[in-house]
Amino acid sequence: MPHGFRKVFPYIALLVLVAAMVWAVSFGTLPRADFAFNNGDEIKTVDPAKATGSPEGRVINGLFEGLLRQTPLDQESDENGQVPLQPETNGVAERYTVSDDGLVYTFHIREAAVWSNGDKVTADDFAWSWRRMLHPETGSQYAYQLHYVSGAMQYNLGTLQVGDQVEVELDDRRDPQQLFPRGTVLKGLLVSRDEDNENFTIDIKPLRDGKVDWQAAGSEQSFTKLTAKQPGSGTKCHHVLADFGSTVGITVEDAATLVVRLENRTPYFPDLVAFYPLYPVNRRCVEEHGTPNWTKPGNIVGNGPFVLQFRRIRDRVRMVKNPKYWNADIVQLDVVDAMAVKSQTTSLNMYMNGQLDWTTTVPNPIIPELRKRDDFITAPMLTTYFYRINVELPGLDKVLVRRALNMAVDKQEIVEKVTKAGQLPARSYVPPGLPGFESALCGEFNPEKARKLLVEAGHAGGRGLPKIEILYNTSESHRDIAQVIQQHWKKHLGIDVVLRNLEWATYLDTIHKTDYAVARAGWIGDYADANTFLDMFITDGTNNQTNWSNKKYDGLIEAAKSETDVAARLSLLHQAERILMDEQPIIPIYFYRSINMVHPRIEGFSANIQDVHPLHLLRIRPAER
Amino acid sequence: MTDQSTRPHDPRDLEHYATLLENAHREKGISLWKDAWRRLRRNKASMVSLVFLVLLSLSALLTPLLPLQSPVEQHLGDGTFQPPGMTAAHLPLLELRQEYDETIAELDARLDAAETAQQRSELEDELESIVLNSPFERYWNKPGPITRLMIRFRISLFGNWSVPSICGTDNLGRDVFSRLFWGARVSLVVGIVATLVSLLIGVSYGATAGYLGGRVDRIMMRIVDIFYSVPFIFVVIFLITILDEPSIKASLEQFGIDRITIFYFLIGAIYWLTMARVVRGQIISLKNEQFIEAARTIGASRARIIFRHLIPNVMGIVIVYLTLTIPAVMRFEAFLSFLGIGVAPPDVSWGLLVNEGLQDITPIKIYWWSVTFSGLALAMTLFALSFLGDGLRDALDPRMKNR
Amino acid sequence: MLRFFLKRLGWMILTVWIVYTVSFFLMRAVPGGPFASEKKIDDAIKRNIEARYKMDRPLYEQYFSHLWSTVQFDFGPSFRLEDYTVNEVIAQGFPVSASLGIFAMVFALTLGMTAGVVSAVRRNSPYDVSFMMLATIGIAVPNFVLASVAVVIFVFMWPLFPAAGWGQLNQIILPALCLGAPFAGYIARLTRTGMLEVLTSDYIRTAYAKGLSTRQVVMRHAMRGGMLPVVSYLGPATAGILTGSLVLERIFALPGMGSHFIEAALTRDYTLCMGMVLIYTVLLFVMNTLVDLSYSIIDPRVDLEDQA
Repeated sequence: MPHGFRKVFPYIALLVLVAAMVWAVSFGTLPRADFAFNNGDEIKTVDPAKATGSPEGRVINGLFEGLLRQTPLDQESDENGQVPLQPETNGVAERYTVSDDGLVYTFHIREAAVWSNGDKVTADDFAWSWRRMLHPETGSQYAYQLHYVSGAMQYNLGTLQVGDQVEVELDDRRDPQQLFPRGTVLKGLLVSRDEDNENFTIDIKPLRDGKVDWQAAGSEQSFTKLTAKQPGSGTKCHHVLADFGSTVGITVEDAATLVVRLENRTPYFPDLVAFYPLYPVNRRCVEEHGTPNWTKPGNIVGNGPFVLQFRRIRDRVRMVKNPKYWNADIVQLDVVDAMAVKSQTTSLNMYMNGQLDWTTTVPNPIIPELRKRDDFITAPMLTTYFYRINVELPGLDKVLVRRALNMAVDKQEIVEKVTKAGQLPARSYVPPGLPGFESALCGEFNPEKARKLLVEAGHAGGRGLPKIEILYNTSESHRDIAQVIQQHWKKHLGIDVVLRNLEWATYLDTIHKTDYAVARAGWIGDYADANTFLDMFITDGTNNQTNWSNKKYDGLIEAAKSETDVAARLSLLHQAERILMDEQPIIPIYFYRSINMVHPRIEGFSANIQDVHPLHLLRIRPAER
Repeated sequence: MTDQSTRPHDPRDLEHYATLLENAHREKGISLWKDAWRRLRRNKASMVSLVFLVLLSLSALLTPLLPLQSPVEQHLGDGTFQPPGMTAAHLPLLELRQEYDETIAELDARLDAAETAQQRSELEDELESIVLNSPFERYWNKPGPITRLMIRFRISLFGNWSVPSICGTDNLGRDVFSRLFWGARVSLVVGIVATLVSLLIGVSYGATAGYLGGRVDRIMMRIVDIFYSVPFIFVVIFLITILDEPSIKASLEQFGIDRITIFYFLIGAIYWLTMARVVRGQIISLKNEQFIEAARTIGASRARIIFRHLIPNVMGIVIVYLTLTIPAVMRFEAFLSFLGIGVAPPDVSWGLLVNEGLQDITPIKIYWWSVTFSGLALAMTLFALSFLGDGLRDALDPRMKNR
Repeated sequence: MLRFFLKRLGWMILTVWIVYTVSFFLMRAVPGGPFASEKKIDDAIKRNIEARYKMDRPLYEQYFSHLWSTVQFDFGPSFRLEDYTVNEVIAQGFPVSASLGIFAMVFALTLGMTAGVVSAVRRNSPYDVSFMMLATIGIAVPNFVLASVAVVIFVFMWPLFPAAGWGQLNQIILPALCLGAPFAGYIARLTRTGMLEVLTSDYIRTAYAKGLSTRQVVMRHAMRGGMLPVVSYLGPATAGILTGSLVLERIFALPGMGSHFIEAALTRDYTLCMGMVLIYTVLLFVMNTLVDLSYSIIDPRVDLEDQA
């Protein structure tokens, strides 16, 4: 080794160190955002068709926009500190009309609505996005929100009858794992199918002038699904579904007019249209990049007030103002950060330090202190906090056991001493306050009776029950409640329970796979009607996730959909809730109060029953900018 | 050889031998251990640490006997976040115990009087459920039979009185002071057992490699080298998550292996490497000593040589490394519990306490006691162990013999 | 020199391959993959997931194809984070952890070496005693306890630093300090010992005899020799910083590799876990090699070949 090098080496090392420092510093700094809020945890996705939670909702509401928008009305708050929330024509649609029988909705899309890549937003975008959402291969958990549209449920569930008009997608996709762009789609009449729905014989109709001629004579061909367990002889195909165009009541009249036909009169349909699962996605973008890559910052195209700048896992989602947004004039914020801070104490601390302008969670123990402050905003919320029970597990499959578990929880103690924000203990699933609806109640807190129920079920003292694990998403509040309930069940029933926490996205997936014993859950009403709480628990409902099934319940929910008399309908729903509370696949715990702390310099923030706060309506007070 | 026994004993020889014997008796030979102990005693820091550790171990062992509050009972509402205070705590233990004993006695009597097999099994079921539901289960977390005995004794000794919450209460109103003691049990047990596991593996591995030498030795040491370069901590965390998979966990539990037992082995598996290397080095230098040669000459088997001669002679250095490994193991267990992949509630460990305590600090009210006391306990124990380790290392250093 | 590198590379490849193989088979042996086995999900979705994670092919084929892509640093999609591949997560987390680690190391070296040199030169003075006591505290107390106490004092009692997050410079300082503290302690002790040894050697006495001031003697002559134990400590120090960052990133909510690794462990995201274990192994190897190289450069008596 040359001597000179040896001598100089320490200086080289020093230089390397300094360079490393400079590089480290450059990574550690980020320009500040105008507005930062805590979104609670890392969001699962920004794809409207695949999201179910409210953290995702806040971001999706910034990046996309539906035909209508849920808007907090600009008026004085009521005695609860709330303002009403309406699905207004503040969205892509500038007006809409409803037919007299309430079955046909016609939306007129505004001229100025464009995507962030310059394309105009057309009716076809909505038709395509809703079709994507209904397609079984997308696996959208909220697809049932569109089941009110005639024929949509049939398409979504893949139900077929002989003689139906069907569509067949052949195995010639550009990318076999991506649903879009789709392979060749043939249409015809279903002649026969086997009982597993794997082999089909279809009378394929020819095309004439680019459209399918259903009257013409066709040719019979047989098809076998690619996922068939037994190899079949037919042409390989991906899917055989009801023909979308002729079955589903979504029609594109022209580029700016979308006509939707419903099965039954549904007064809350506008609320559904204003809810994020029904937001559109850009077809070109999705077909070019595929799922999930189309949601990446460089690729994503949205039509909302903001565009996605970047997503840092477990740090933040940064959105910047979309200059092309049709209403860009009222958007005052330029850069918005949705932070993913799980810890409530850290969130509060960041708020106090000025790093956050709005926090959606605060540590429970000091809520009594925080309530005295002006920036602490709380109001009743149409939301229930409950525990799901996986009714397929041995032991938990017994109704008596579940009822015992419910009656051993002291909900009053939880709301008084743990959550401390004035929540109400819950004995029903549907929260109070919905006009005309009478809730069905489950058992109240009675440890003695709970023990007896357990003995009756043959599990005296908890013997014979599997090890129950309470799953919750990481948050001090959920942990505390879980620990208290753990102690309740130990003390009153003698059952040993373990706790497990997962971060939000994984927690959602785990529950969706019903890979849990008991799991914490919260459900926000998507519209002001009891149905939003009850229709999720039908057999195989995508948001059921408890393996619970009751045919009578399904029947009541279905009947309520087509019942026109208001009182009769609410009575049907009440009966459904009665069954739900009797069989107890869920343990309701309390009804939420929304809790937000917002910096005084922020204007345009108001409490409402769904705790919805559109980002583009928030403004920073001029003096404090 | 000439048979010397027929030669008459020369009186001068006898005297000579007698004098030698007398001199030998007077000069007391000193064993390695006595010498080391003498040196250790002079090291003040080590002695203080030793006393502290002995006290700690005793209190951990005897925790059920101590008049502590319940480590698991929650006092929601006003009982949460109490600062350290001197308000006496009373648990209705005497009454509960009496009630429990009476119920058991009554059930036993009915069991004896039972006539049909069905009645008997029903009563047995009820008996079992009462036992599972007893106040012992409620106030303490699943105590074993010996622990129960100790708790009973404590109730007899102290009645309903318990030490007040001198370290405050945590977010669910549980007494921090008692949680410290129960956490000490877990932390110390994991520390000691995992270290013993690593000792066992390391010593046997190193001794075998060192003694066998040659190609076997080289291969074995290469394996150690490979393990050394892997960041084992990450691999262990990966392994823990795999073993946490519900189906695997269930099948392991069937064999009686619960999470803590897995820890003993996994944590021990990280720290045996250094022990193996050190022991091997020591064995290699001892291998060529005369006394080993002698043993081999008289026909001692390999195993006998390894276990009877070599290993006792490396004990010194092994003990030194033992005292260096225990704090490392304890620290790792606390690390895992802090991250949430270690000991799970309702079990308590110091790492878990620090984690919970940290989560309770808010900008408006600083509930400092949970974090501080558990952190202090952990720090002091690790301190004491490292001082003791240093002292032992100096004491057992053969170069310092007779100084 | 070339032989040294080649030998090292060989060992690294062997080690990484062993870790990969063991992890791979463990992962595949464990049930509970990314899709629900008995759940009623659409067959097409199930097929897509299987194809995405390449689970539809026989085991040995999976092994080799995954091995091939791993060699090219493509670790595949994450089990739990739907929108991300393992590479993307590592790419996002690495700069954060790297900056944290670099700050911590720089802090440890600067503070440690200064304290060590001062202690050695002013032996048995109050400086010496207090520095060595602080060093012992830093070493004995686990870093998360230290960080917790630091958070209580410097974030809540006297609000000097923000509690958490990443993005501004002042958010790096406290975590880096807490991470580097134990290593500063070790380095202080090592430097002190090394310097003491050097200061009593002949050539230093000659330097003093020549009339050089203390500062000149220390800076120009003694440092080089005294630095040696520190340089060889840098290897274990890096390993320590990597493990230490696991807890510190948790406490300060820093979105670095350590954070992602722990979350991957908690959510049983095996592909992500495995990818990170491999990255950490490679990192350690590289760091150790650099350290051995530097050591041989600084100390002419050391033969590189012995290090391999």
